Amino acid sequence: MTSPLFPAQEIGSLAKPRWQLLGQRGEPLDAAAVQEFRSWNDRVKFADPASPELRGFLEGRPRALEPSAVRDLGALFALRYMEAAGLARVYDGEARRIEMYEYPVRQMHGFQFLGHVRSFDNKYYRKAANTGEIRLDRPYHVDEFDFVREHAAGIPKLPVTGPYTLADWSYNEYYLGRETGWKGRAARRHAQREFVVEIAKRAIRPTLAALIDHGCRVIQIDEPAAGTHPDEADIVAEGFNAATEGLDATFSMHICFSDYRSLFPALLEAKNCQQWAWEFANRDTEDRDGYEVLRMFQEYGDTREVGLGVVDVHRNEVESAEKVADRIRRAAKILGDPARIWVNPDCGLRTRSLDVAWQKLRAVVEGARIARADFERAG
Amino acid sequence: MEIRTVLTGPFPRSEPLVAATRDLDRGRATAEAVEARFAEDERSVVALESRLGLDAVTGGYLRWADLFRPFAEGWPGFTVGPVTRWFQTNTFFRQPILHAPPERIAGVVRSALPSTAAVPPERANVILPGPFTFAGLLDNRSGETREALTHRFGRLLAEDVRELRAAGYQRFQFQEPLLVVDPPTGPLAEATVAAYQSLGPAADGGTTIVWTYFGDAGPVQPLLHRLAVDVVGIDLAETEPEAIVPPPERRGIGLGCLDPRTTLAEDAGEVARIAKSLRKRGNPKELWLGPGGPLDLLPTDAAARKLHVLPAAKQILLGPEGVS
Repeated sequence: MTSPLFPAQEIGSLAKPRWQLLGQRGEPLDAAAVQEFRSWNDRVKFADPASPELRGFLEGRPRALEPSAVRDLGALFALRYMEAAGLARVYDGEARRIEMYEYPVRQMHGFQFLGHVRSFDNKYYRKAANTGEIRLDRPYHVDEFDFVREHAAGIPKLPVTGPYTLADWSYNEYYLGRETGWKGRAARRHAQREFVVEIAKRAIRPTLAALIDHGCRVIQIDEPAAGTHPDEADIVAEGFNAATEGLDATFSMHICFSDYRSLFPALLEAKNCQQWAWEFANRDTEDRDGYEVLRMFQEYGDTREVGLGVVDVHRNEVESAEKVADRIRRAAKILGDPARIWVNPDCGLRTRSLDVAWQKLRAVVEGARIARADFERAG
Repeated sequence: MEIRTVLTGPFPRSEPLVAATRDLDRGRATAEAVEARFAEDERSVVALESRLGLDAVTGGYLRWADLFRPFAEGWPGFTVGPVTRWFQTNTFFRQPILHAPPERIAGVVRSALPSTAAVPPERANVILPGPFTFAGLLDNRSGETREALTHRFGRLLAEDVRELRAAGYQRFQFQEPLLVVDPPTGPLAEATVAAYQSLGPAADGGTTIVWTYFGDAGPVQPLLHRLAVDVVGIDLAETEPEAIVPPPERRGIGLGCLDPRTTLAEDAGEVARIAKSLRKRGNPKELWLGPGGPLDLLPTDAAARKLHVLPAAKQILLGPEGVS
């Protein structure tokens, strides 16, 4: 029996609900937080509000739930949210993480956090400088994966920030500082390769190995920075290989908001990657030309799976299921094999409200259903 | 050879301003409170620029969401488009979408500049998008060719330069990263030259600067030397110093000697060495030292530390062994 076409999967983080943020800080829930909790619990059924601890929590008693229990509840909520939306591969919405860069870097030695850097508009992220040799404190994400594995009805799919992105989003002082003379292009590239491979070997690989030991079978390596320096696509692939080679899991690589064409063919050297999970909806038009870049896979004879971004995560406007279906049809036509397609949002939905994110996930699932029915009708 | 130092792009927002703008987005701060914070930061940047003895001040262009936003929001024919990567950085801009041939509205650019109270026009380095980069990075649905758009932006920006010149501004810097990242050839190169033929004279005795960054200027120098501007800036993080060709007579050169992609501060002695080597190969009228790209890729403290390299390098060049 073959799997149904166009299964849907999570791709990244969700916004944390207000009750989780307040509860983690040990603050009493306000009316809006309680309402939010009850409303989502009615829809996705993640907790028993009659239990004594939860009653106290919802009645606004501070510390009725310890912050760690609130985090667990947040993870369980996100898990049920994704399952109720209809996703086949699920995770916890990164409910325990600060964000995708700072958390892993804080598990490593050799970095020093500096201030914020603007990403765009009034959005910022904290950035660290690599100031010494990289050493992993201990493998990370393992506890959160154990929790998901224990509670998930769907297939757990764990996102891990990739070595190239961790390097690119950090300031390379240590390895660049070892270069002599003027720190021009050649010196920067040499230092960057060293930095990426060291992160991959010393921090990511031991973490992946530990996760696999705990039963993790589907791992998404997030490399949103992969498109930042097209002439370093070979380093992205080298870092991916250094982190994953010989490990027994299904690996995908998520890249977003990049000029994908510039990554070909060097990126295809990431031999242990089974799925390319990329953003397309953000760049799409009514002519569906956001998906034209998929032709590059055909051009280079790459037949791996594609995680197809079918909803834009930067806009509140919710795509219709029919539009999603149309995007899937276009992608399937270009790739020539609908069985290679998984569907997902372009990227994590963290910047959207839970309501908008829910509607978008539902559009993904419903759009996939429509497209699937079309293909089944067509035989 | 005159040596000048200048901030050539946006300066990072301070941590309190980061917090204030985040609070604004989350409805936890008023626009008035955030504006007060912007004004305070702007004064701090000017104070830093003055303390370091830079030859012009900018105020850091802290309010600009990106290089094009005042135009995309203020000129007719534009809408603000999707989040798009800003060259080879982990920062983004909202790509302007142009739906009709662009038109200019007087005063839009002037009102977007840092306040004249903090940045007096006669001391200001006005930083604007270059016509080639502007035309090349927008989503062009106007029906005009890119060549025509480049030329037209040159004419429209020239009107702004004239307006600003009349208000006392003297230095006009055009950001042209795309010129070195994706250099024009053929008719597009000619349109770029034509655009600057409009811009150069509009400054009417003021100083015009093209600042390139994020790409190797080496192969593009013949074109850069044809642009009707006083100074062309080159990013030393991307361009091998030995590949720099001294500019034509009566023209200046800018060395983008601070790499905003690393917190590792540059060695002022190395910068001076590169400048001296350039002088041996020619004698540019002016040498401008500045960041090789936008310093807002760094946190505030690191950016400030880097800026200190400029006067230090200048001091070496002006010393007994210097070239000036």
